[in-house]
Amino acid sequence: MKTKLCVVTVVVLAVWAMKRYYANARADDLWWILTPTARLAGAITGTAFAMTPGEGYFSPERLFLIEKSCAGINFMIAAFGMVTFALLHRVGSGLSGARVLAMSLSASYSATVLVNSARIAIAMRLAAHSVAVSTLSPVQVHRVEGIVVYFGGLMLLYELVQRCDRAAAARCGQ
Amino acid sequence: MTRAIWSVVAQAFRRAAPPLGWYYAVTLALPVANGAAQTGAPFVEHAAVVLVLPPALIVLACATRTIARVLRRAEQA
Repeated sequence: MKTKLCVVTVVVLAVWAMKRYYANARADDLWWILTPTARLAGAITGTAFAMTPGEGYFSPERLFLIEKSCAGINFMIAAFGMVTFALLHRVGSGLSGARVLAMSLSASYSATVLVNSARIAIAMRLAAHSVAVSTLSPVQVHRVEGIVVYFGGLMLLYELVQRCDRAAAARCGQ
Repeated sequence: MTRAIWSVVAQAFRRAAPPLGWYYAVTLALPVANGAAQTGAPFVEHAAVVLVLPPALIVLACATRTIARVLRRAEQA
Protein backbone atom coordinates (compact mmCIF):
# COMPACT_ATOMS: atom_id res chain seq x y z
CA MET A 1 0.00 0.00 0.00
CA LYS A 2 2.84 2.37 0.91
CA THR A 3 4.70 1.54 -2.32
CA LYS A 4 1.53 2.11 -4.36
CA LEU A 5 1.12 5.50 -2.72
CA CYS A 6 4.75 6.31 -3.63
CA VAL A 7 4.09 5.34 -7.26
CA VAL A 8 0.92 7.50 -7.36
CA THR A 9 2.93 10.41 -5.90
CA VAL A 10 5.63 9.94 -8.54
CA VAL A 11 2.93 9.97 -11.29
CA VAL A 12 1.35 13.18 -9.95
CA LEU A 13 4.77 14.88 -9.68
CA ALA A 14 5.79 13.63 -13.16
CA VAL A 15 2.55 14.95 -14.70
CA TRP A 16 3.10 18.32 -13.02
CA ALA A 17 6.77 18.43 -14.09
CA MET A 18 5.96 17.45 -17.69
CA LYS A 19 3.29 20.15 -17.88
CA ARG A 20 5.72 22.76 -16.52
CA TYR A 21 8.47 21.62 -18.88
CA TYR A 22 6.09 21.70 -21.87
CA ALA A 23 4.83 25.19 -21.00
CA ASN A 24 8.36 26.63 -21.00
CA ALA A 25 9.95 24.47 -23.72
CA ARG A 26 10.81 25.73 -27.20
CA ALA A 27 10.42 23.56 -30.28
CA ASP A 28 14.17 22.87 -30.22
CA ASP A 29 13.93 21.51 -26.66
CA LEU A 30 11.35 18.94 -27.81
CA TRP A 31 13.72 17.26 -30.32
CA TRP A 32 13.41 13.96 -28.38
CA ILE A 33 9.76 13.64 -29.43
CA LEU A 34 9.54 15.84 -32.55
CA THR A 35 12.42 14.10 -34.37
CA PRO A 36 10.99 10.51 -34.32
CA THR A 37 7.49 11.89 -34.97
CA ALA A 38 8.64 13.90 -38.00
CA ARG A 39 10.60 10.92 -39.33
CA LEU A 40 7.65 8.52 -38.95
CA ALA A 41 5.10 11.00 -40.32
CA GLY A 42 7.50 11.64 -43.20
CA ALA A 43 7.85 7.91 -43.87
CA ILE A 44 4.04 7.40 -43.81
CA THR A 45 3.32 10.31 -46.15
CA GLY A 46 6.49 10.16 -48.27
CA THR A 47 7.40 13.70 -47.25
CA ALA A 48 10.79 15.06 -46.25
CA PHE A 49 10.77 17.19 -43.10
CA ALA A 50 13.74 19.41 -42.28
CA MET A 51 14.55 20.83 -38.88
CA THR A 52 13.98 24.60 -38.77
CA PRO A 53 15.67 26.07 -35.67
CA GLY A 54 13.18 27.63 -33.28
CA GLU A 55 10.14 26.43 -35.23
CA GLY A 56 10.14 22.65 -35.53
CA TYR A 57 10.13 20.36 -38.57
CA PHE A 58 9.05 21.90 -41.87
CA SER A 59 8.16 20.37 -45.22
CA PRO A 60 8.71 22.98 -48.00
CA GLU A 61 6.95 20.82 -50.62
CA ARG A 62 3.76 20.37 -48.52
CA LEU A 63 4.05 23.68 -46.62
CA PHE A 64 3.45 21.79 -43.39
CA LEU A 65 5.07 22.62 -40.05
CA ILE A 66 5.32 20.19 -37.14
CA GLU A 67 5.66 22.70 -34.32
CA LYS A 68 5.70 22.61 -30.53
CA SER A 69 1.92 22.22 -30.18
CA CYS A 70 2.08 19.16 -32.49
CA ALA A 71 4.46 17.32 -30.14
CA GLY A 72 1.69 15.32 -28.45
CA ILE A 73 2.98 15.98 -24.93
CA ASN A 74 -0.57 16.11 -23.51
CA PHE A 75 -1.29 12.71 -25.05
CA MET A 76 1.93 11.37 -23.55
CA ILE A 77 0.97 12.69 -20.10
CA ALA A 78 -2.51 11.11 -20.33
CA ALA A 79 -1.06 7.83 -21.62
CA PHE A 80 1.61 7.73 -18.89
CA GLY A 81 -0.93 8.26 -16.10
CA MET A 82 -3.44 5.85 -17.59
CA VAL A 83 -0.93 3.01 -18.12
CA THR A 84 0.58 3.44 -14.65
CA PHE A 85 -2.86 3.27 -12.99
CA ALA A 86 -3.84 0.28 -15.16
CA LEU A 87 -0.73 -1.56 -13.90
CA LEU A 88 -0.85 -0.28 -10.31
CA HIS A 89 -2.13 -3.62 -9.01
CA ARG A 90 1.25 -5.12 -10.04
CA VAL A 91 3.14 -2.86 -7.62
CA GLY A 92 4.20 -4.76 -4.53
CA SER A 93 7.77 -3.68 -3.90
CA GLY A 94 10.04 -0.80 -4.79
CA LEU A 95 11.49 -2.77 -7.69
CA SER A 96 8.09 -3.67 -9.14
CA GLY A 97 7.03 -0.03 -8.73
CA ALA A 98 10.08 1.15 -10.66
CA ARG A 99 9.40 -1.49 -13.31
CA VAL A 100 5.77 -0.33 -13.71
CA LEU A 101 6.89 3.32 -13.99
CA ALA A 102 9.56 2.44 -16.57
CA MET A 103 7.09 0.35 -18.59
CA SER A 104 4.50 3.12 -18.45
CA LEU A 105 7.03 5.70 -19.58
CA SER A 106 8.28 3.64 -22.53
CA ALA A 107 4.72 2.61 -23.54
CA SER A 108 3.47 6.20 -23.40
CA TYR A 109 6.47 7.51 -25.37
CA SER A 110 6.13 4.85 -28.11
CA ALA A 111 2.36 5.31 -28.30
CA THR A 112 2.78 9.09 -28.56
CA VAL A 113 5.19 8.83 -31.49
CA LEU A 114 2.93 6.31 -33.29
CA VAL A 115 -0.43 8.01 -32.64
CA ASN A 116 0.91 11.51 -33.25
CA SER A 117 2.55 10.50 -36.53
CA ALA A 118 -0.75 8.97 -37.65
CA ARG A 119 -2.57 12.17 -36.63
CA ILE A 120 -0.10 14.34 -38.57
CA ALA A 121 -0.33 12.05 -41.64
CA ILE A 122 -4.15 12.30 -41.55
CA ALA A 123 -3.98 16.08 -41.03
CA MET A 124 -1.67 16.42 -44.04
CA ARG A 125 -4.07 14.37 -46.13
CA LEU A 126 -7.05 16.42 -44.97
CA ALA A 127 -5.16 19.65 -45.70
CA ALA A 128 -4.21 18.46 -49.19
CA HIS A 129 -7.72 17.27 -50.09
CA SER A 130 -10.04 19.89 -48.63
CA VAL A 131 -12.74 17.84 -46.93
CA ALA A 132 -16.28 18.44 -48.14
CA VAL A 133 -17.75 19.16 -44.73
CA SER A 134 -19.40 22.48 -45.46
CA THR A 135 -20.45 23.22 -41.87
CA LEU A 136 -16.94 22.83 -40.40
CA SER A 137 -14.01 25.18 -40.93
CA PRO A 138 -10.50 23.71 -41.54
CA VAL A 139 -9.59 24.58 -37.93
CA GLN A 140 -12.65 22.70 -36.62
CA VAL A 141 -11.89 19.70 -38.85
CA HIS A 142 -8.32 19.69 -37.47
CA ARG A 143 -9.67 19.85 -33.89
CA VAL A 144 -12.17 17.01 -34.45
CA GLU A 145 -9.46 14.91 -36.13
CA GLY A 146 -7.14 15.49 -33.16
CA ILE A 147 -9.78 14.45 -30.62
CA VAL A 148 -10.77 11.34 -32.59
CA VAL A 149 -7.18 10.18 -33.14
CA TYR A 150 -5.90 10.98 -29.63
CA PHE A 151 -8.90 9.52 -27.79
CA GLY A 152 -8.94 6.49 -30.13
CA GLY A 153 -5.21 6.08 -29.48
CA LEU A 154 -5.75 6.16 -25.71
CA MET A 155 -8.52 3.55 -26.01
CA LEU A 156 -6.33 1.27 -28.15
CA LEU A 157 -3.37 1.67 -25.78
CA TYR A 158 -5.58 0.84 -22.78
CA GLU A 159 -6.95 -2.29 -24.49
CA LEU A 160 -3.42 -3.37 -25.44
CA VAL A 161 -2.13 -2.87 -21.89
CA GLN A 162 -5.11 -4.79 -20.45
CA ARG A 163 -4.55 -7.69 -22.85
CA CYS A 164 -0.80 -7.84 -22.16
CA ASP A 165 -1.51 -7.68 -18.42
CA ARG A 166 -4.05 -10.54 -18.61
CA ALA A 167 -1.65 -12.61 -20.76
CA ALA A 168 1.19 -12.01 -18.28
CA ALA A 169 -1.08 -12.96 -15.37
CA ALA A 170 -2.15 -16.16 -17.15
CA ARG A 171 1.50 -17.07 -17.83
CA CYS A 172 2.38 -16.58 -14.18
CA GLY A 173 -0.69 -18.57 -13.12
CA GLN A 174 -2.00 -15.67 -11.01
CA MET B 1 -34.06 -4.84 -26.95
CA THR B 2 -33.65 -1.24 -25.72
CA ARG B 3 -32.45 -2.51 -22.35
CA ALA B 4 -29.93 -4.76 -24.11
CA ILE B 5 -28.57 -1.83 -26.12
CA TRP B 6 -28.24 0.35 -23.00
CA SER B 7 -26.52 -2.51 -21.22
CA VAL B 8 -23.95 -2.70 -24.03
CA VAL B 9 -23.46 1.09 -23.95
CA ALA B 10 -23.10 1.10 -20.15
CA GLN B 11 -20.55 -1.72 -20.33
CA ALA B 12 -18.60 0.18 -23.00
CA PHE B 13 -18.53 3.31 -20.84
CA ARG B 14 -17.32 1.31 -17.83
CA ARG B 15 -14.54 -0.15 -19.99
CA ALA B 16 -13.64 3.24 -21.45
CA ALA B 17 -13.71 5.05 -18.10
CA PRO B 18 -9.91 5.15 -17.49
CA PRO B 19 -8.95 6.49 -20.96
CA LEU B 20 -11.91 8.89 -20.87
CA GLY B 21 -11.01 10.09 -17.36
CA TRP B 22 -7.35 10.69 -18.23
CA TYR B 23 -8.30 12.37 -21.51
CA TYR B 24 -10.65 14.77 -19.71
CA ALA B 25 -8.10 15.35 -16.94
CA VAL B 26 -5.37 16.44 -19.36
CA THR B 27 -7.50 18.29 -21.91
CA LEU B 28 -10.01 19.95 -19.55
CA ALA B 29 -9.19 19.73 -15.83
CA LEU B 30 -5.50 20.76 -16.05
CA PRO B 31 -6.14 23.73 -18.41
CA VAL B 32 -9.01 24.88 -16.17
CA ALA B 33 -6.71 24.61 -13.14
CA ASN B 34 -4.13 26.71 -15.02
CA GLY B 35 -6.71 29.43 -15.71
CA ALA B 36 -7.52 28.59 -19.35
CA ALA B 37 -11.24 29.12 -18.63
CA GLN B 38 -10.51 32.85 -18.21
CA THR B 39 -10.02 33.13 -21.99
CA GLY B 40 -13.81 32.79 -22.27
CA ALA B 41 -15.61 31.78 -25.45
CA PRO B 42 -12.69 30.08 -27.31
CA PHE B 43 -12.05 27.74 -24.39
CA VAL B 44 -15.77 27.08 -23.84
CA GLU B 45 -16.16 26.13 -27.51
CA HIS B 46 -13.07 23.91 -27.37
CA ALA B 47 -14.21 22.34 -24.07
CA ALA B 48 -17.68 21.60 -25.46
CA VAL B 49 -16.22 19.69 -28.42
CA VAL B 50 -13.73 17.85 -26.19
CA LEU B 51 -16.50 16.95 -23.74
CA VAL B 52 -19.06 15.71 -26.27
CA LEU B 53 -17.02 13.97 -28.96
CA PRO B 54 -15.41 11.06 -27.02
CA PRO B 55 -18.72 9.78 -25.52
CA ALA B 56 -20.30 10.17 -28.96
CA LEU B 57 -17.49 8.04 -30.40
CA ILE B 58 -18.09 5.36 -27.75
CA VAL B 59 -21.82 5.24 -28.56
CA LEU B 60 -21.02 5.14 -32.29
CA ALA B 61 -18.57 2.26 -31.78
CA CYS B 62 -21.23 0.39 -29.74
CA ALA B 63 -23.86 0.94 -32.43
CA THR B 64 -21.50 -0.23 -35.18
CA ARG B 65 -20.54 -3.31 -33.18
CA THR B 66 -24.18 -4.18 -32.36
CA ILE B 67 -25.30 -3.75 -35.97
CA ALA B 68 -22.40 -5.90 -37.20
CA ARG B 69 -23.31 -8.59 -34.66
CA VAL B 70 -27.01 -8.56 -35.68
CA LEU B 71 -26.08 -8.75 -39.36
CA ARG B 72 -23.69 -11.66 -38.70
CA ARG B 73 -26.39 -13.55 -36.79
CA ALA B 74 -28.93 -12.88 -39.56
CA GLU B 75 -26.43 -14.20 -42.10
CA GLN B 76 -25.84 -17.38 -40.07
CA ALA B 77 -29.59 -18.02 -39.54
